[in-house]
Amino acid sequence: MKHDFLDKYSSLNSPIHRLDARAKIIAFIGMIIFCVSSPPNAYLAFLGYALFLLIAAALSRVPPTHILKSSLVVIPFVILVAVFIPFLKPDHIGGGYSLGIGKLTVSRSGLVVFENILIKSYLAIISVILLSSTTPFPKLLRGFEQLKVPKLVIMLASFAYRYLFLLIEEIERMERARDARAYRGRWLWQAKVIGQMIGSLFLRSYERGERVYVAMASRGFTGEIVGFGKTKFQAKDVLFLFFALLFFTFLRIEV
Amino acid sequence: MHIPDGFLDTKTWVTLGVVSAGTVGLALRKASKKIGEKQIPLMGVLAAFIFAAQMLNFPVAGGTSGHFMGGVLAAILLGPLAGVLIMAIVLIIQCLVFQDGGLTALGANIFNMGIIGALVGYYFYLGLSRMVAGTRGMFIGAFIASWLSIVLAAGACAAELAVSGTVPLKVALPAMAGVHGLIGIGEGLITVAVLSLILKARPDLLETEKI
Repeated sequence: MKHDFLDKYSSLNSPIHRLDARAKIIAFIGMIIFCVSSPPNAYLAFLGYALFLLIAAALSRVPPTHILKSSLVVIPFVILVAVFIPFLKPDHIGGGYSLGIGKLTVSRSGLVVFENILIKSYLAIISVILLSSTTPFPKLLRGFEQLKVPKLVIMLASFAYRYLFLLIEEIERMERARDARAYRGRWLWQAKVIGQMIGSLFLRSYERGERVYVAMASRGFTGEIVGFGKTKFQAKDVLFLFFALLFFTFLRIEV
Repeated sequence: MHIPDGFLDTKTWVTLGVVSAGTVGLALRKASKKIGEKQIPLMGVLAAFIFAAQMLNFPVAGGTSGHFMGGVLAAILLGPLAGVLIMAIVLIIQCLVFQDGGLTALGANIFNMGIIGALVGYYFYLGLSRMVAGTRGMFIGAFIASWLSIVLAAGACAAELAVSGTVPLKVALPAMAGVHGLIGIGEGLITVAVLSLILKARPDLLETEKI
């Protein structure tokens, strides 16, 4: 079983991969919070974040094509916002272009809004991609657990992640079977077919859940939630985190 | 409908983050009190199920497609708070592994698809299904509640973007609600199809204790 779309590069070996998950979680999520809360015209700060991501990406040896391909997820939303720009309230200071369709204009403030979300969402998504493609999901969960995320959340997420592979494979098999029977999804009412597929997927999943529970119970599971255990924060993790946060604070305050 | 980072301003994502964290916290507290040992693997597997089910696209109109969200279905099967918890787990994994939805927008996404999509949708279902007796009432309630859950979630998404100054409310709200009014029909059909299948094959599953 091979699922290329999940976790493909997270088990590489690089200085970034070797860092403690907690250090990476705080640094990469911290960068997103700093970046997203910057004013729209903090271009030098955005350059700084891009530089941080570039260095981290280069050190991590994750192929740039992978990072760029995964980052395309934001595009539909960016387009959605772009569509609405002409409808944003026109500039008070003037400046802006008439579109020649009725009263619609592209105002300068509309373009600022667009540029702002484009830059921020792109930097943020690269940050999440780097976090997830340099840390295998179980390690990521352990990091979150040590950062005091409730154990039940961690446990449910680790179960969900484990069975995701199986269920996605199951749904792909069902899709193949459906397509082999000349289904052509063209009309909304054909959603009923999808409903039946999802229904049988549900029953299979539920029964799998029951079997998993019986297997766990027979191996001594009592409902007690066991964590992943601890990892040690090393000098390199402290250093990485310290300099990353120092850099972000500097960008936020000085630039 | 998964809002990425950078689309919401600070006041919006922080507020919705606090609201969602509070609701998920409540769900966790209720769940750890009421949850039997059996339900832990079950809820985990069902979160994976919702995730996989969301990967199936259905046609909407003019070549566009929508996909199942599953909030109301999860809430009908396991209860409203369990529904929020499951949707939150799905959204967390989508955000971290698939970059679908932003980290700072996670609270907003849990609010739209978990709190509105599962919790609020569930109470619509409860109210509506009591108006008509029997399984027919259940199906009608499930269909309308599923449709509403999608339209309301989309409306909330548009409102959040508008409050952040990213899109104009007057145009974005009708546009989002309109498109999702169609997607919601698909959601309703799927929820009813799944429920009728469960009713035929494993009716006992609908009787389990709700959280």
